[in-house]
Amino acid sequence: MTAMNLSPLWISLKTALVATAITFILGIIIARWMAKSEFKGKSILDGIFILPLVLPPTVVGFILLWILGRNGWLGAFFFEIGRPVVFSWSATVIAATVVSFPLMYQTARGAFEQIDSNIEDAARTLGASEWNIFWQVTTPMAWPGIAAGTILAFARSLGEFGATLMLAGNIPGRTQTIPVAIYFLVEGGRQKQALIWVLVILLISFVSIVALNYWKKYQRRFSSHPIGEVVSDP
Amino acid sequence: MAILGPSGCGKTLTLKSIAGLMQPDQGRITLNEKILYDSRQGINLPAQERNIGFLFQNYALFPHLTVHDNIAFGIKRLTDYQRNKRVEELLGKMRLQSFGHRYPAELSGGQQQRVALARALAPKPEVLLLDEPFSALDTQVKSRLEAELLEIQSDFKGHILFVTHNLAEAYRISSKIAVYEAGGLLQWGDRHSIIERPANKKVARLTGMENIFDGIVIGVDDPRLKVRLGTDHLCLYPDNLDNLNVDEEVSIAIRPEYVKLADNGDENALEAELIDITEELIFNSYTFQTKQAVAIKASIPKDIGRRLVVGKCYSLCLPPENLIVIGI
Repeated sequence: MTAMNLSPLWISLKTALVATAITFILGIIIARWMAKSEFKGKSILDGIFILPLVLPPTVVGFILLWILGRNGWLGAFFFEIGRPVVFSWSATVIAATVVSFPLMYQTARGAFEQIDSNIEDAARTLGASEWNIFWQVTTPMAWPGIAAGTILAFARSLGEFGATLMLAGNIPGRTQTIPVAIYFLVEGGRQKQALIWVLVILLISFVSIVALNYWKKYQRRFSSHPIGEVVSDP
Repeated sequence: MAILGPSGCGKTLTLKSIAGLMQPDQGRITLNEKILYDSRQGINLPAQERNIGFLFQNYALFPHLTVHDNIAFGIKRLTDYQRNKRVEELLGKMRLQSFGHRYPAELSGGQQQRVALARALAPKPEVLLLDEPFSALDTQVKSRLEAELLEIQSDFKGHILFVTHNLAEAYRISSKIAVYEAGGLLQWGDRHSIIERPANKKVARLTGMENIFDGIVIGVDDPRLKVRLGTDHLCLYPDNLDNLNVDEEVSIAIRPEYVKLADNGDENALEAELIDITEELIFNSYTFQTKQAVAIKASIPKDIGRRLVVGKCYSLCLPPENLIVIGI
């Protein structure tokens, strides 16, 4: 067996990691903002944020192409400055970010909304600044949700195929991620090589999900005892 | 001081406004000469700068922090040494010494409340606000915590403002009581005066004055007032007889606990039919009705009330010294 070209693995990992990092930051900020504010058209905006989750990835890819393509309103700008997005590595990141964002956003928002506002108020009466409350109270309390959302977003961006193929194409060594490589290997009749990549993806995804379950179990230590349970008074 | 009122009357809202967690529409809140809020001057001090301790109804402990860290949360500006000393001191006071490393979810309701109290007291607030602090606890734990709160009160330098819908609780814990209803203050004063001289019928009803009668003044003979209630005549000795004139309407009231079965020769005896009995622990609640359809409630010890039969008429006594006049 000839030495295998490992570039899809590195591209996939790099893409998933960068996309997850972007999703993580954007997801927390937007989820927190949506959880705490009330305004007209909030449901519509929420729908837009969730949409990539339910749309076929090819539709997402089509819309991205329309925006970022050479004639798209944003794409034209990048083309102008000599850094076209389409068929570049950043395209794989953009596609992965867009499809994984709803998972992070939805999970984190649910976690923020579940926080009893009295607890944040308590921190206020104890003199904590809004910034400290966010980092020392809100985020740690929402952490199980944020962590779950992050792992789901990572797994989703790793597995992204349709939108990536449409926006980034299949350029080995540059935009060819594992899922894209698998598709073209199978199409070219190279089942064995495809199988190796399939096993790699299976392994990474499985490890992520198991890690998530362990994390949840660990978190339960302080998050799921009903108030007033356990232990009698001294 | 206690704020007493039915649920939904604005008690919690008042506390939150004082603490700066909610902005009132207008008005002024001051604390020891410091202006916390003034709508006209546009002052609204953030909660963080008010130095007010708040004990939430559901305690609102930080679930991700240990008991020790919960209590230490409000005193981060202290040095490690001072902070730990203060936390240890509070843990001792609240009998929680061995619980410092536990998480709130590992504590009982009573312990959680003591942690919440310790956390609120740690920064030495000028005022301590307690929002229905005992409503979620069972009777036994509740009475012990009440005793503890009274103890804390004695060595706490600031004021304690306490919200409840339970009259007996308010009376036991506070020296002054404010009675609220539907967002408005009905009466404010010494706890005795709230109970003995309710300002109006609403306050009287909210403070358990179940017998309120509308009668006509038939004689003002200082210090004695005579009132006609249907065909019955009652006399009483109000604190002051100003504004009471013959032939005018007057509301008089008596607590069910003071109504008793009349002996021969008792003053203020009247005939009434027993129409209902509600079984209670020690004092049963009896509802009587006079011929003029005036309902009278009486709390009578079970052993005395045992011989009473629904449908029969009895002679009741409304002792003159326990009857009061109520403003409209």
